[in-house]
Amino acid sequence: MGREVSESCVESLLTEIVSSYCNGFYADKPELAARRIEAIGFQVGHQLSERYTMDRPRFTDHLEAIKFICKDFWSEVFKKQIDNLKTNHRGTFVLQDNRFRWLSRMSVDPSIETLGSIQDPSAMAENKAAQAIGMHLYFPCGIIRGALSNLGIPCAVSADISNLPACSFVIRIKA
Amino acid sequence: MIVCVAVVGHQNNPLYIQSFTEADDALKLHHIVHCSLDVVDERGLLSRHTVLVKFDSGVVLCGNKKKAAADGAVYSKLNNPKKSSPTLNETFLGLLYPTENYKVYGYLTNTKVKLILVTTDLDVRDADVRNFFRNFHAAYVDAVSNPFHVPGKKITSRTFAERVSTIVKSFGLSSGS
Repeated sequence: MGREVSESCVESLLTEIVSSYCNGFYADKPELAARRIEAIGFQVGHQLSERYTMDRPRFTDHLEAIKFICKDFWSEVFKKQIDNLKTNHRGTFVLQDNRFRWLSRMSVDPSIETLGSIQDPSAMAENKAAQAIGMHLYFPCGIIRGALSNLGIPCAVSADISNLPACSFVIRIKA
Repeated sequence: MIVCVAVVGHQNNPLYIQSFTEADDALKLHHIVHCSLDVVDERGLLSRHTVLVKFDSGVVLCGNKKKAAADGAVYSKLNNPKKSSPTLNETFLGLLYPTENYKVYGYLTNTKVKLILVTTDLDVRDADVRNFFRNFHAAYVDAVSNPFHVPGKKITSRTFAERVSTIVKSFGLSSGS
C-alpha cells in the first residue's frame, strides 16, 4: 500500500549523513555528531510508528509494543524480523538481528590494517573501525527510540556490535 | 452533517480543530470537543486496568497472596463490564456521548492521539463513522509524516485541511442512499 524507496538510496543517504556529521559539521566532537544523528533517527521513527500502527488495536503493555517493533515494524523497514528477543522482565530488552541490513555491506577497511605503521597496534585499528560502525548505528537506535516514545514508552536505546553483520539493540525502558 | 472535527495530541493539546457550520458557534463546538476528552481518557484507562490484573496474577505466584488476590478481585470487578465487549483496545471508541443536538464520536490511536467527530445526524451508521475515522486517520498520518511538521505542534498544512473537508463532505454519501 505504501510507497517504496530504493534501498541503495537509503543506504547511501545513511552513509552520507554519518560522514558529513562526523567529518564535516562536528569533526572534533563525535559525541555531538552522534546525538544529532540519533535525533534524526528519532524523528523518522516517530513518524513511521504513526503510520505502521494505523490498522491495529492499541497495545496493552510494553512487551506487546516491543513485539510490534520486532515483527511488523522491523519487516516494514528492513524486510525481515528481529532474530532474537531477550528480556529480563524489568524493562530491559535485547533485540538481536543476525544480519542487520545496514551493516550487511559494510567491511573493515583493509588499508587500516595493512598500511598501518608497525607501532600502530592492530587493536587500535579495530577500535577505529568499531567506532565508525558504531556511528552508523546511532540512526537505527534513534528510530527505535522514536517509535517507542511515540507509543508512550520513554526509553534509552544503545547498540552492540558482536561480529558483522550481526548486531543487537538494547532497550532500557525508563520507569 | 458533520459540524466539527478535531485532532488532539496525547497531552490533550489541540493539533487541529475545524468547524463546518455557517453559524457563529465555533466556541460551543470547541467546548463540546473539550468535554469529550474526559470520556476518551476514561475509556483509555479502562483498558489499562487489564494490565494491572495481569501484573497482580504475577504477584500471586511470588507470594503475598492474600493482598494480591484482594487487589486482583477489585480490578477484575472494575473490568468485568468491559470484558464482555470484544472491542477492548480497538482504536474506534464509538459514541462518546450524545447531547441534545449533537452526537460525539471518538477514536484513539496507538500513539494516544485523539480524533473527535461531532455530528448533527441522529441516525448515524456505525460503518460510516468507522470509514470516516479511517480516512481521517490516514490524512493525519500523511500530514505528520511531512518532515517540516514539528511533532506536537498544530497542523497548519493546507493540503491536510483540504483533504479533511473533502472527507467531511463525503461523509455518509458512499453508502447513504
